[in-house]
Amino acid sequence: MEPLLKLQGVTVNFSGLRALSSVTFDSHAGEVCAVIGPNGAGKTTLFNAISGYVPSTEGAINFKGEPIHGLAPHDISVKGIRRTFQTGGLFLELTALENVLAGLHVHIKSSFLGIVMGLREAREAEREGLARARRLLDLMDLGAIADQPAKDLSGGQQRMLEIVRTLATDPPLLLLDEPVVGLAPPMRDRMMEIIRRLAGEEGIGIMLIEHVIDLVMSGSDTIVVLSSGELIAKGPPKEIRQNREVLEAYLGHA
Amino acid sequence: MAETQTSSPASRNRVRTFYYLVPLVALIIPFVANEYLLWVVNAILVYTLVTLGFNIVIGNLGQLAFANTAFFGIGSYTTAILMVYANIPYVLAIVISAIAGGVAGFLASVTALRGIRLYYLAIITLAFGELMRWVYLHGDKVTEGSDGLLMPPSSFFWIPLDSEVPKFFVFLLITVLVVKATSNLMRSRIGRAIVSIRDNEATTASLGIHTARYIVLAFVWSGSVVGIAGAMFAVLTERVLPEAFGLTEVIIHFGMVLVGGTGSIVGSVIGAITLTTLPEYFRQFPGLDELFFGIIIVVILLFLPKGLVSLLWRISPAFKERHYRD
Repeated sequence: MEPLLKLQGVTVNFSGLRALSSVTFDSHAGEVCAVIGPNGAGKTTLFNAISGYVPSTEGAINFKGEPIHGLAPHDISVKGIRRTFQTGGLFLELTALENVLAGLHVHIKSSFLGIVMGLREAREAEREGLARARRLLDLMDLGAIADQPAKDLSGGQQRMLEIVRTLATDPPLLLLDEPVVGLAPPMRDRMMEIIRRLAGEEGIGIMLIEHVIDLVMSGSDTIVVLSSGELIAKGPPKEIRQNREVLEAYLGHA
Repeated sequence: MAETQTSSPASRNRVRTFYYLVPLVALIIPFVANEYLLWVVNAILVYTLVTLGFNIVIGNLGQLAFANTAFFGIGSYTTAILMVYANIPYVLAIVISAIAGGVAGFLASVTALRGIRLYYLAIITLAFGELMRWVYLHGDKVTEGSDGLLMPPSSFFWIPLDSEVPKFFVFLLITVLVVKATSNLMRSRIGRAIVSIRDNEATTASLGIHTARYIVLAFVWSGSVVGIAGAMFAVLTERVLPEAFGLTEVIIHFGMVLVGGTGSIVGSVIGAITLTTLPEYFRQFPGLDELFFGIIIVVILLFLPKGLVSLLWRISPAFKERHYRD
């Protein structure tokens, strides 16, 4: 099967500091791929490189067989890679509904003139977007808080809302930066269940950064282990659990 | 919290009806107000657009750009120059002033796009305003310098604008159209893109939104709206003077945005009404009027940091503006 995402020798330098060093791996549709590693290993830098937030110094990133390195974040998003952020990903002053609607931006086809003059085509496009946003919120049990500003939501609701927003345009690939951090254990399990369902039933490729090892081991199909910017292992959870190098570098014991 | 209460579609419909009634009820003003009061009302209509345009950049886009008086002056002088030297009809002068304001807005946006933000953007845009004032003062072959440019008699299509009454009807029409168009814009994907950039520019890009494009659009729309206000101001004052576009004016415009409520269209209207009428009222206390004016701004901002519009939210959450159409 053609990989959804293909990284080849991706290297990122920050003014002399090597944040990612020749990282090579593939990620597939319908697969949950966890990225783990100690603090400063380059996990978020990897996400930033894929989504266009930091330029890669060397190497190639291909999405659905097409090179995407060097593109701006909004272009990469339009191509179908959507991401969440470790912190501050939501528009806190906007309501939950408005957040999801913002996620639908490229989906709503209305012209500038149509919008300004309040023409029918523009209003129809907006109405369709609104219906879709409400449906998505209902689907994730967030319908009741649609009109609440994002800043008033609980941590769990905020995480969920951010995921709903990324899903709004049916992206083939999702990058989730610590999707369960700060959530209570039952909420965590529910979130992982949703993530598994998105991959299994919708066939979405999901990459996620996570620190809770139990969740990673039980919830992912593949694990990528980074340490000091280098990929030190990649494989199914069973293999990673027994990998000596990983145990030393990441889990701190051999 | 009262602010976060949700509102029913029925109550939102009532609020909408109320807004449609406001300009209709305003139609009786010329029949009850004298010439002076009507002049104040006309000034309110001009400043409604001044505040509305400024608020898009300050409140919706969240950029500290103070080029508003520059847009205002450019709109006024464009209309005056076109009418004095080229005998261009007022309607056409308004359109060209909107375009000129839009071009100035585009220039201001370029600084923001180059990563110049916050205090730097503030000082550069203030300097832009002062530079324009210098041009009005020293381009006296065209602008008549500090004497100001005297406007010729003007008419809107076939309506001669020779007193406050016809000016009122024309200004009301223009203001309603521009407010409605801006409201349409702010309740669309474009308006959401603009406020998303204010809340978090990086995240906005991750949603496939070309942020630079919407920063430019917000500035251009702002410049055009204020340019139109400038065209109205030229006809209101009948003489376009450089000092109408100085630093004090920037503070007054900024005050209108803050007193009304940042990022709120209704707030812009309330801010313009409040800070246009109060100075007129305080005129009866010469020497103290500026002090009263300052105190009022401080008191309002101290007790209502979200502006006077937040009083409406206490009456009903349906008054909260949304960035989508029901």
